[in-house]
Amino acid sequence: MWDGIVVGGGLAGLTAGIRASERGKRILIISEGVGSLTYSSGVIDLGEVGRLQGLENHPYALLGETVVRSGLNYFQALFPDYQGKWGEILQVLTPLGSPRRAGLMPEGLNAEALQDARQIVLVAPEGMKDFFPDVIMANLERAYPQSVVKLYPIRMDEFEAWRVLGKSVTGMDYAKFWRSVAGSEGLKRVLNGLAQDILGKSVTPEAASREKLVVIFPGLVAAFSNTLKEALSKAPFSVVEMTAFPPSACGQALYDALKQKFRALGGELLVGAGVRSVELIGKTCKQVMVKSKGRDTAFSARSFVLASGGIFGGGIEVGPGNARETVFGLPLHLPATWTQAEFLGEQPYAQMGIEVNRELRPVDPRSGEVLLENVRVIGRTLAHWDPWVEHSGGGVSLASGWFAGEKM
Amino acid sequence: MSDVQDRVTNLDACIKCSACTAQCPVAAVYPLFLGPKSVGPDAERFRLEGVDMDPSYLDYCSNCKTCEVTCPSGVKITSMILNARETRGNTTSKVERENLEHQVRDLVLGRAEYLGRAGSVWSGLTNRVLGIPMFRGLLERTLGISRQAPLPAYHSKFKGQKRGQTMKSTGNSLTAGKKVVYFPGCFVTYNDALTGQAVLKVLEHNGYEVIVPSFHCCGVPLQANGHFSEARDNARKNIALMDPYLQAKLPVIAGCTSCGLVLKEDYPSMEVNGSERIGEQVYDLFEFLWELHERKELREDFREVPVSLGYHAPCHLKAQGIGTPSVRILRLIPGVLVQELDAGCCGLSGSFGFKQEKYDLAMQIGEPLFDQVQHSVAKGEFQSMMTECGGCQIQIQHGSGVKTEHPVWVLMQAYGLEVND
Repeated sequence: MWDGIVVGGGLAGLTAGIRASERGKRILIISEGVGSLTYSSGVIDLGEVGRLQGLENHPYALLGETVVRSGLNYFQALFPDYQGKWGEILQVLTPLGSPRRAGLMPEGLNAEALQDARQIVLVAPEGMKDFFPDVIMANLERAYPQSVVKLYPIRMDEFEAWRVLGKSVTGMDYAKFWRSVAGSEGLKRVLNGLAQDILGKSVTPEAASREKLVVIFPGLVAAFSNTLKEALSKAPFSVVEMTAFPPSACGQALYDALKQKFRALGGELLVGAGVRSVELIGKTCKQVMVKSKGRDTAFSARSFVLASGGIFGGGIEVGPGNARETVFGLPLHLPATWTQAEFLGEQPYAQMGIEVNRELRPVDPRSGEVLLENVRVIGRTLAHWDPWVEHSGGGVSLASGWFAGEKM
Repeated sequence: MSDVQDRVTNLDACIKCSACTAQCPVAAVYPLFLGPKSVGPDAERFRLEGVDMDPSYLDYCSNCKTCEVTCPSGVKITSMILNARETRGNTTSKVERENLEHQVRDLVLGRAEYLGRAGSVWSGLTNRVLGIPMFRGLLERTLGISRQAPLPAYHSKFKGQKRGQTMKSTGNSLTAGKKVVYFPGCFVTYNDALTGQAVLKVLEHNGYEVIVPSFHCCGVPLQANGHFSEARDNARKNIALMDPYLQAKLPVIAGCTSCGLVLKEDYPSMEVNGSERIGEQVYDLFEFLWELHERKELREDFREVPVSLGYHAPCHLKAQGIGTPSVRILRLIPGVLVQELDAGCCGLSGSFGFKQEKYDLAMQIGEPLFDQVQHSVAKGEFQSMMTECGGCQIQIQHGSGVKTEHPVWVLMQAYGLEVND
C-alpha cells in the first residue's frame, strides 16, 4: 500500500511525486515510457498568468495566483540552476536562432547578453544534426542588427569516426560528450582557442567586454554540471546556449535532475509499463493494474494523481470524432469543433481534457459532480487551456503538480 | 496472418520521435550502430517488403531492451531486431572467415549451460586456467573472447536441497503446505552456488519448501548469440519440467532478472502444456517477497544491518515492469540505507561485453555507472553495490573495483542466516 501513486512521469507528475515524498509520503510514479520532458526544450514557459487566471475554468483560474507562485518558487528552490523571477520576461534562442520570450530557464540558455552584443560568434560543431547555421545566422542578423555575426566551426577528434562514416552527430551526443570528463577538458580547449582566434593577443574579460563579444554554443548544456558551469565562468566572454529540436539534451537534463531528486527522497519510479486498468469502489480508486511482463501487477494506494499527459503524451487517445482518457476512462471536455484552418493558430482541440474542481478532483462536465474522491488530475490532462498558444505549459504543470504533491 | 498484422500495427505505433536512440547505450558510444529506431522500426518497413540492408548492422544491439522501456508508444523494438537477426540467420548461406570465428564463439557463449557444466566439475582448475593470461590470449585469438573481459569464475555446481525432485517423489503433496519452485539460472548454478543457497535459505526461513528441478539454461544467451531454435527447445524442456508444479499453482521464482524476463515474456508464447500458466506464476525473487509483505506473510523480525548500499537496477529487471521490489524490501530492514543509481546499462549485457570487438564498447557504455559508483564510494555515500543480475555484478566490480552482490545477502544478514561453502 502506497500513500500515493502518480500515473505519468512528466514535469507535472515528477513535481507532484517530489513534493509529496519530501512531505514524508511513500510515492510510486508509473510512467509508460520516458516522459515528454525529453522532447521539451527544458525551458519553463508560464504565459501571462494575470490574464489567463481571468479565463473561466483555466487551470490558473482554478488554482489561483498564490498556488502558481508557490509552484514556481518550489521548483526554483529545488533547482537553483533555473533563473527567472515572477513578472520578469527572459529571452531564449529557438533552435533556428530567433529570440523568444520565456519564463524560467537554466542560466546557460539566457540570451539576454545578445541585446548589447556587437560581435556574435556562432560555434558550429561539425556534423551536428538538425543544426542549420545559415538559417540561424540570418535570424540572428535580423534580431540583432547592431551586431556582426560570425561562424566558428569546431571539430572534435572524439567524433572522427562519425565524420569518416558521414554520419551526423546528434545534439544529444554532443551534449553528453561535453558533460563527460574528456568533454569538459575539450570544451576548455575550444573556449581558449576561440578567445585566441577572436580576441587575438588581448585575451581578457575587459577586451571581450570592450568588443561586446557573445558566443552562442549549440549542443552544449551546462545545467546541473558544476564542472561545465565553472569552465564557462572562466571564459572571457558570455556563452549563450541554444534550445534544440527533440529529443533535446536540455529537456533530458531536467528529466534526469527530477528523477534523481525523486529517487533520493525515497520515491520509486517505474518506467516502461503503463496502467492497463483501475479498480474502483464507488468513488474511490483502490488500485491500478500495471502492464508488467507475464501478468499485470496491482499497486494499491490511498490517493492517486493522474498526470498521463494529453494527446501527445498518451493520456488522451483520439479517434475519428471521439476521444477518451486512457487510464480511468474519465469523461472529457470536448470542444464543439476541434480544428480551424490556420495551422499555427488557436486550435480548439488543445482545450480537450478532464474538467476538475478547485481541488483538482475530476468532475462530470455537465453536472459538476465529483467523479473520483481520491484522484487528482494535473498537467496536460486538464481541460480548458492551450499550452501552444498561451506558452503556459511549464507553469500549469508546476503549479498543478506542486498542488497535488502538497495535498497527497 | 494475424502475426503480420501485429507486426504492422506495432510498426505504425512508432512516431519517429528518436527517444529510443537517444537512450540507447550502444548508439551513444558506437557510431556504426545506427540505433534502435533505424535498425528496428525504420528498417522493418524495408524488411516487410523483402528488402534488407547490410545485415551486419543488426549485430551491435546488445539486447538490453532499454529502447522498449523508453518507448512511449509501446513499440517492440528489440523484438523486431532479434526477429530480423533470426530471419537473417536462416537466409544467410555464405559465411565469411571472420564470421566463422564469431560463429564458433557464439556457439560457446550461447551455451552458458554446457560451459558451466564443464567448468564447475573442477571449478578450481578451470578458474586457474582462465586466470592464465596466455590462455586468455588464446581464447581471444581463436574465439574472439576478449582477454580483458571479466569472465565469471566457476564454483562447484549449485545443488538445491530438493534438486531433481519430481512429482513422483513428492507424491500428491504438491498442494499441501507452502511450496515454491526455484529457477536458479546458469549464473547461480555454475558460478555462484552460494547465492543460490542464500535464496533457498531466505525462502525456507519464510516457511516455504523449495523445489529445484534440473532446469536447462533459460535460453537468453542462446537467443542473444543467434541460436533461436535451440533457445525455444530449452524453453519447451523447462516448461515440461515446470508443468506439474504450474498445474498445482506453485509460484516459480527466478533470482536472475534475465531468466525472469524470458520466462515471463517469451515462454507464454511457446504453445506447450504449461505455457498458458507460466506468465501468471513466474515471479522475480523480490517481487515474490514483496507480495508476501503486502499479504503480511513475510517474516520481518529483522536484525539491524547498519550498511549503506548503492543499487543498480538491471536492464532486464526494468523491462519486467515491476519496479524495484528489492529496494522496497531492503528498506524495511532497520539500518539499511539504499541509494538507487540511475546511470544506465552496465554494458556487459549478458555476453555482449565478453566479445573481443565489443569489450571496449561495453566498458564505455558502463563508464557513467562506474564513475558514479566510484565517486559515491569516495564521498562515503555508500560502501558497496547491489544488483540482482550476475552479469551486472561482475561488470560493475570489474569496471569500478567496488564489491557488488545480489541483494539477497542483505536479507540473509537481517535474518541472521548463513550458508556453508
